[in-house]
Amino acid sequence: MGTILVVAEIQKGAIREASYELVAAARGIEGAEVNGLVIGSGVGDLASEFASKGAGKTLVVDDPAAANYNVDVWSKAIKAAAEASGADLILISNTPTGWDVAPRIAAGLDCAFVSDAIRVAGGDGGYNLVRRIFNGKLDAEVSTSGQTVVSMQPGAGTTYEGSSDGGTETLSADLSAIAKFVEIKIAASTGVDLTKADVIVSGGRGVGDPEKFPEIIQPLADALGGAMGASRPVVDAGWLDHPYQVGSSGQIVAPKLYIAAGISGAIQHLVGMKASNFIVAVNKDPDAPIFEVADVGVVADLFDIVPALTEAVKAAKG
Amino acid sequence: MKVMVCLKQVPHQDARLDVNADGTWIQEDNIKFEINSYDTYAVEEALRLKDAGDAEVVVVSIGPDRVTAALRTALGMGADRAIHVNDPAAQGADALGIAKTLAAVAKEEGADVIFAGLMAEDDNASAIPPMVAELLGFPSATGVLATDFSADTVTVERELEGGALEVVELPKPCLIAIQSGANQVRYASLKGIMQAKKKPVDVKTLADLGLAESASAAQNKTTVNKVYVPAKGDTAEILSGSTDEVVGQLVTKIKELGLL
Repeated sequence: MGTILVVAEIQKGAIREASYELVAAARGIEGAEVNGLVIGSGVGDLASEFASKGAGKTLVVDDPAAANYNVDVWSKAIKAAAEASGADLILISNTPTGWDVAPRIAAGLDCAFVSDAIRVAGGDGGYNLVRRIFNGKLDAEVSTSGQTVVSMQPGAGTTYEGSSDGGTETLSADLSAIAKFVEIKIAASTGVDLTKADVIVSGGRGVGDPEKFPEIIQPLADALGGAMGASRPVVDAGWLDHPYQVGSSGQIVAPKLYIAAGISGAIQHLVGMKASNFIVAVNKDPDAPIFEVADVGVVADLFDIVPALTEAVKAAKG
Repeated sequence: MKVMVCLKQVPHQDARLDVNADGTWIQEDNIKFEINSYDTYAVEEALRLKDAGDAEVVVVSIGPDRVTAALRTALGMGADRAIHVNDPAAQGADALGIAKTLAAVAKEEGADVIFAGLMAEDDNASAIPPMVAELLGFPSATGVLATDFSADTVTVERELEGGALEVVELPKPCLIAIQSGANQVRYASLKGIMQAKKKPVDVKTLADLGLAESASAAQNKTTVNKVYVPAKGDTAEILSGSTDEVVGQLVTKIKELGLL
């Protein structure tokens, strides 16, 4: 086994948890030497932190050109680091940054690529990985040959809790870019703040059509004194506006009670609600991934269960 | 302007997924296929560009005979031409192999803008579009929800976590991987479907593209060995009984949470 290069991502001025999940994954591979990479502007301290908290010797690309994420800057920085470290395996988190740049690295290096892996291990002349397909319904075992770039699913593994005594080393690279960062736009708040609700009742594609949200889902939310939410396909279809979306690209919620009706449980949704205190899932499909995070599951038609539950809740409240 | 859209035909989102006999993929006989939903948003974004001015939209897909239907659907929506890379040697090619093939088509076409969906709903890989851009030396942006074209550049909005958007300016030629929900996808009209029958679908092999030795499955560096139904955790208490019984149990649990 050769060197593993772990690419850190900085969010809100700190190295994100997902980067320490990569460190744990790297340290789980026998016989490998782990190196880190931190890219940004004014990131010397963060690089030292990464080097001492598990990443080992950490290369730093510290340049004003890297102040904001840019696909060309990151692509060049990672390729330079791969070369400098002689990395056989390059790990990055499968975030909007990861899925933007990681495939480019692999194509540029003409090497193997696996995205959104939940497990990685050394293999025969390469690496063995597990990833989910068909929106979480099936798992796949994948093997690679030779140098490999892997993006890992955030939250799928544990974070590294130990230390390392790597230092940092400045890496110079040509960071010229064709793509140009313009700005970040934060979503304006709209009054639908699901993060404050004690109870959320969310509907998914299984609800079937837009009228059923005010007819079936909202009444249960109202009866429980809670808020209505939705999974991504509902918002994509234009049935509800984006503020109702629960998931990685919407709101992350952790209410006392989360009821998911007609939601299959794709990872982007689970990320948004799996920290809820108590999860009830209603879905006709007994194999829906949502049942993996539910406390209580009902395999039934939501049009039978939800209206009946609404009536029962109203009766219980008297 | 020459606009190319890469699309993939995938099992219908409600298709029954059974693992095949040797456990290497799902059984594809007797299921319906459709254009990958993310790619429909990409086709739509390309067609809006065509509606707004002077663009030729060429849709491209790689796969066996059944892929023709997906290309005809895109032509019915309004695309001008289709290219179908239909070659057994490409069956099972990994992401890099497919990307090499698409890049070769884009080069032949002289594409100014390449659209693709962010990911395919079968493998959820989101691997190929940025690879195509890298191979062509094009700038790229993924997870795009909005595009704004000017003479030489495209300004795009990339979806980040938590509803934030990153605005990026890409000079042309460039590649844009579209996120689901970017637009409202049009249906193929009856007139469009009839017209589609007369639109050209060029069929190519890897050899036609000079890729027989470099982009076939034989060159794969990444291999899917096994596909299986994941072992279920048993942390969920699955309620059974009549609707009234189940609802009664749910009310009890909600009371225990102190919410009633």
